[in-house]
Amino acid sequence: MTDTSNVAVLDDDMDFAPAKERAGAKAAAWGGRGLTVGIGVAAVLTAIGIALWAVQLSGGMVQTAMRNLDSWGLYITMFMFFVGLSAGGLIISSVPKAFGIRGFGGISKVAVMSSIACTVAAIGMVVVDLGQPLRLWELFAYSNLGSPLMWDIIVLGTYLILSCVYLWAQVRAEQGKVSHTALRVISVVALVCAILVHSVTAWIFGLQQGREMWHTALLAPWFVSSALVCGTGLVMCVAAALRAAGYLALDQANLVRLAKLLAAFVLVDLYFFGCDLLTEAFPAAGGLAVVEMLTAGPLAPFFWGEVVLCAVAAVICLVPSLRTTPLMVAAGLCAIVAILCKRVQLLVGGFQIANIGLPGPVGPMTVTGWESGMAGAYQGMVYWPAPIEWGVALGVVALAVLVFLLGVKFLPLRPQD
Amino acid sequence: MVDKRLAIVVDTKRCIACNSCAVACKIENNLPNEVWWNRILNVGGSNMDSPSGTYPNLSMQTITLSCQHCENPACVKVCPVGATYKDPETGVVRQDYDKCIGCRMCMSACPYTGVRSFNWEEPGYHVDFAVGDADVVPHQKHTVEKCTMCWHRLAKDLQPACMEVCIGRARFFGDLNDPESEVSKLIAKRQYIQLLPEMGTKPSVYYLV
Repeated sequence: MTDTSNVAVLDDDMDFAPAKERAGAKAAAWGGRGLTVGIGVAAVLTAIGIALWAVQLSGGMVQTAMRNLDSWGLYITMFMFFVGLSAGGLIISSVPKAFGIRGFGGISKVAVMSSIACTVAAIGMVVVDLGQPLRLWELFAYSNLGSPLMWDIIVLGTYLILSCVYLWAQVRAEQGKVSHTALRVISVVALVCAILVHSVTAWIFGLQQGREMWHTALLAPWFVSSALVCGTGLVMCVAAALRAAGYLALDQANLVRLAKLLAAFVLVDLYFFGCDLLTEAFPAAGGLAVVEMLTAGPLAPFFWGEVVLCAVAAVICLVPSLRTTPLMVAAGLCAIVAILCKRVQLLVGGFQIANIGLPGPVGPMTVTGWESGMAGAYQGMVYWPAPIEWGVALGVVALAVLVFLLGVKFLPLRPQD
Repeated sequence: MVDKRLAIVVDTKRCIACNSCAVACKIENNLPNEVWWNRILNVGGSNMDSPSGTYPNLSMQTITLSCQHCENPACVKVCPVGATYKDPETGVVRQDYDKCIGCRMCMSACPYTGVRSFNWEEPGYHVDFAVGDADVVPHQKHTVEKCTMCWHRLAKDLQPACMEVCIGRARFFGDLNDPESEVSKLIAKRQYIQLLPEMGTKPSVYYLV
């Protein structure tokens, strides 16, 4: 049995005394012109993204750079990336509550809000990737429960709903309307769901025996560690930005604790990377081609980019004298970009090595750079997004930003003083 | 009645890479522009129709590559809506265009590079009338398609179109569950390879070597 009676003392996130003022009124009081302009810009970019998506659907996905031999692209890369980003907020917020340890100051609710926004982006990225989005209802009518994609849809949906419930429960708990035990139960469930959502996303790729680079049991834990890296990076950046904007007060000590956590996550992620590379390369069989492609081949800029950015983030977070606010924010950004590089490697890498790369008829629908033949198409990166993909993806990102900023403006996310 | 396991056997010693099977498939199934369900790939050479080795020790070999109608298909497992499925009575891996949501999960899952194709745009044709068999299911934009083993012909007890036109009589079709079938006898007495057996998909296409 777990004794939860003394947890509230340890948890500095929560104050169960009834709020001095109505939380809604307090939140509404915050937010100047800058926030309104930000919401406006995000809304416009979202609208442009939706218009471009309509163009993509009516004119055909031939306008994207995706083709038969590289049939996923920027959208699925960003899907993986945003699923990862969503982790940080939820885990940073729920771990202290679930285990009854000290939290990270008043960022708990804002962190969950960032999770919700990232989950919205992740779902949006999958939707814009579909050829027949109007048939989405079939997922529920004809569910093939054996498909990892189906698992992901179920878990991601649950995750989004749970994040919202968790946020709501935190707000209600502050008003004394939800018991501490209930909040703790919800945070445990949310934490389990967060781990599951990354594992299942990894399994979309990792369970496929047809792609050498993806087919590894390490992929699921590795997705969790990568998610922790970029998620913690995001929470650090958001917390520092909101403090600078005067939205919340945050002890420097809490930012430093986040930085130390980030360092630990980065090191674990690099360790997994090393394990995977060694396992791929050591038999000097098929996997060696994967390692060569990453270290010296077309994906080398993204490989070395990830390694260097991770190293920079780790050094900043590990050396006490470097833990200044600007540098810690830089470390957070490095971590986020590093994991984005990782996602590009994973997605493009899966298509970069064709199982049957024999010369044959090649046409405009075969592969992205088909004009130069099969050999030419695989010379550099086999896939690079087309302009419309950047536009649609930017629209989805803008939607996430819009969701987050609306939350900051209208929801009682500020810590209770 | 015992279920069938319909299979294709290709004699690579007799194949002359004439591409007739690919063209027959294209016409029979009224395939849209740029869509090929069956392709002829050159083994060893650097281009289509180029030999391997150095003169005078040259050789040529080709394989025809289309859906392998695997016994353990990777695509069927991953399709979230069951739009690609295995017909239990024939072993043919089928594709339901009306169900396909266009997620392209099957294309990532299939180890046999390029046998599945996606209609990246509204299907277009070089002639303004449909060719091939009238019973072929119409092609749809933004859905995945592939070799159906000429499902519409199987229903009429006919062989797939690619079998009919093979000049070198290098293609054979039949039921592997029937020991008396031509394909069963061929793979019993001849040496054969299968593509990517290490993937564990158990393809139903055999290449005699």
